[in-house]
Amino acid sequence: MAESSLKLQFAPFCSALEAGFWHQLTQKKLNEYRLDESPKNIKGYYYNGDAVGLPARLTLEFSAFDADGPTPARCCPASGTLYNTNTLEAFKSTDKKALLDKAANEIWSAIQSGAALEDSSILNKFILLTFADLKKYHFYYWFCFPALCFVEGIQLLRAPLSLEQHFSDKQISSLQSAYDNLCASSGTTAVPHFLLKYSEESVEVAPLKELNSFFPDLKRVAVGVYDPCTLPQHPGWPLRNLLVLLAKKWASQLDVVEVLCFRDRTLQGVRSVQHSIIFQLRLSDPAPSAVCPKSVGWEKNTKGAMGPRSVNLSECMDPKRLAESSVDLNLKLMRWRLVPALDLEKVVSTRCLLLGAGTLGCNVARTLMGWGVRHITFVDNAKISYSNPVRQPLYEFEDCLSGGKSKALAAVDRLKKIFPGVNAEGFNMSIPMPGHPVNFSDLTVAQAQQDVEQLKKLISEHDVVFLLMDTRESRWLPTVIAASQRKLIVNAALGFDTFVVMRHGLKKPRESEESSPMSASSSSSSSNTPAATVTAGSSLFSNIPGHRLGCYFCNDVVAPGDSTRDRTLDQQCTVSRPGLAMIAGALAVELMVSVLQHPEGGYAVASSSDDRMNEPPTSLGLVPHQIRGFLSRFDNVLPASLAFDKCTACSPIVLENYEREGFQFLAKVFNSSHSFLEDLTGLTLLHQETQAAEIWDMSDDESI
Amino acid sequence: MMTGERKPASCFLDEKTFRLCCRLFLQHSESIQDGWIWEQIKGSDEGFMKKTVLIPVKSSLLDKQHESIQAENTELPTDDFEADAEDETAGVDAVCESHAVLRYEYHVLYSCSYQIPVLYFRASALDGRSLSLEEVWSNVHPNYRQRLKQEPWDTLTQQEHPLLGQPFFMLHPCRTEEFMKPALELAHAQNRKVNYIVSWLSVVGPVVGLDVPLSFSTAVSAPD
Repeated sequence: MAESSLKLQFAPFCSALEAGFWHQLTQKKLNEYRLDESPKNIKGYYYNGDAVGLPARLTLEFSAFDADGPTPARCCPASGTLYNTNTLEAFKSTDKKALLDKAANEIWSAIQSGAALEDSSILNKFILLTFADLKKYHFYYWFCFPALCFVEGIQLLRAPLSLEQHFSDKQISSLQSAYDNLCASSGTTAVPHFLLKYSEESVEVAPLKELNSFFPDLKRVAVGVYDPCTLPQHPGWPLRNLLVLLAKKWASQLDVVEVLCFRDRTLQGVRSVQHSIIFQLRLSDPAPSAVCPKSVGWEKNTKGAMGPRSVNLSECMDPKRLAESSVDLNLKLMRWRLVPALDLEKVVSTRCLLLGAGTLGCNVARTLMGWGVRHITFVDNAKISYSNPVRQPLYEFEDCLSGGKSKALAAVDRLKKIFPGVNAEGFNMSIPMPGHPVNFSDLTVAQAQQDVEQLKKLISEHDVVFLLMDTRESRWLPTVIAASQRKLIVNAALGFDTFVVMRHGLKKPRESEESSPMSASSSSSSSNTPAATVTAGSSLFSNIPGHRLGCYFCNDVVAPGDSTRDRTLDQQCTVSRPGLAMIAGALAVELMVSVLQHPEGGYAVASSSDDRMNEPPTSLGLVPHQIRGFLSRFDNVLPASLAFDKCTACSPIVLENYEREGFQFLAKVFNSSHSFLEDLTGLTLLHQETQAAEIWDMSDDESI
Repeated sequence: MMTGERKPASCFLDEKTFRLCCRLFLQHSESIQDGWIWEQIKGSDEGFMKKTVLIPVKSSLLDKQHESIQAENTELPTDDFEADAEDETAGVDAVCESHAVLRYEYHVLYSCSYQIPVLYFRASALDGRSLSLEEVWSNVHPNYRQRLKQEPWDTLTQQEHPLLGQPFFMLHPCRTEEFMKPALELAHAQNRKVNYIVSWLSVVGPVVGLDVPLSFSTAVSAPD
């Protein structure tokens, strides 16, 4: 017979670890084991009710460290020894052969002494070698399921058959109830090994220890093993040591051993043991002397080679990683249904420069964090004072002590505390301003030059610049630099109960500027020119493309100067209703996000209040030029305005002078009164032309 | 009396009724071996209903993840232990190759703040590494994805398990009322008592791959 030469082969256990096991190991290592490397008792379990296709597993979960704890219903417990090393080096250099031999010897002596017959669970011992790198949350592990071997292997006399091929329905149902009774009488819901006797009519089972009395004739015995394997031709690992036990105790008498690999699954309430397998084999004495036979059992790694496994659990155990993934996930959820077209990556990857870390800066930073923006840079020269923390949500009372911390630096520290994944940086520096002379000494000039260079560098390294300062004139320099560098500016400014949030017009890239006639917009300038290009029927301020939108200074007919000079304290301090900064700060970020969602970005046509009923241009809705809010009326309007050809900040003549003369030009602006810029741009002339008309207008208003 | 009977419009469930509903649910699960168990938190009277489901998957999915871990662990020792490599008698190499199995864990907890049950779940590989939501999503059959997008996936969040302190995905309870209210009202109109857990779980479960056998709705009664 071909089958007579067939050797029995076993399906090894596959280790299965629940995340809870690693969490608990971490806790034990930190709080209990610490540097103690001594072996610990742990427990796992295996199951014989799996669906086809699942590997036989030894499972360790959260409860594995409770060696005396309960085992899940209908599962077989397996007790193990944990060797947790303190270093990776110790993990590597641990003598695995010695560990296996030690466990094999324990099993062997339990077999020889007969203890294994009384309590056969000793046959299912396992070893787990671990190293937990708790800095990185990397875990290295190697399982061993010690199995004693027959030198010659095990000869099959009859190849495995499924039980339904071998048993009648009557026998099967008799087996089921006999097994259930055995479980009930032994007080468990799973019996790892049992004896089996059957006739045409019925099946009887008995505990392993009754072997001598159960069979009338030891020449032909049958045993059942609780089998976690689902393969139709192979038994699982637990049978191995049982066969060694049988062979060692009765090899001289046993002729044929019939083995039932008991598999017991219930699907939707329908129980089946029919797929259990049954076969016959012949056993030889595994070790003629009392010497422990050769043993095997270290688990192969995922590559199928002899080696340890490892798992990186930083994603679910490192609090910083957890925070990052939770933040990302919450944002992604917006996409699941609410805004499927949302391009989050565009938002998250935007590098934001916040000029000003006061009430507006703090609120803008927090809203950016809410959007998952990771790259946030602060510029501010102020220190935190006692009045700040109640309105500036990144600061606390402690930050005001001993003169106060630098706002830019303290804001960075706080952002990192709120979310360690943020990439934040702070610069404690001043921004030179028109009408605030820098020419007191060589030192002050050099300082101003250095500040300008630093600001230029910062703007070039970011994608969006937020103007969040408390004076008008401090916004001038970044407006000029960003306009020259074609960077998007989002500007927010507060009055007492009014605010403006706006995006500055984004000048066209230089290449196209050169190709188109420069004169079209600049030299033939009169304030009427833009209207000529607007299509008939639409109003002057509808459908303005992003490159023709104005900046913060475009609507002004006076150049920025020292706005704090000659003013009383309440006029110098920006006093506004406390909720205003939060509203405006949040709107500034939301405006940026909407702009980013538009395919044309900063060049997007400005939406106006009239567009509120129309099809929105982005998945998030409108992309206005300005949002002007009036808290007294709880009302917002969305005006749009054109770039002004006499603008003191973004007009071509200012940019040309800046780009040509650089710091020299800027120094002139800083050191002069506002008339310098007004003269340069032609505002002075405009003033003279319109003065008379204005006077008449105003007096008309007043008389009403 | 069950809340569902007296105040049919209310979708709330008090904790006592939650426990009773769970007990009845577990009884039936036990009788058909559906795998649900009650997990008691050691040293407290708190606990939750739990079920673990194993699903074999294409190994390609998990291979990718393994590679990334392996890449980080270049120093991993694999060649310093060969004494035991010659275990041909260990046999059946074929079984060892396709061990790509995903373990889905479903937990039903009571939320005191929402006063309703909440479903937590996570999916992991056999080494304990949890899958990201993208990985879970990629295992959802494409035919289902479209449908799932409309339904409670949009209320899925990552949360720390309130009793275990480990990260789980959670179906946020904020939309529970939407589907429980009609169900409870209909039952009330028909003068029929329903087990809250059965009705609720048979709606939210399938969304995250959890099957609730039909027999639960016929065999599980409501608490008196």
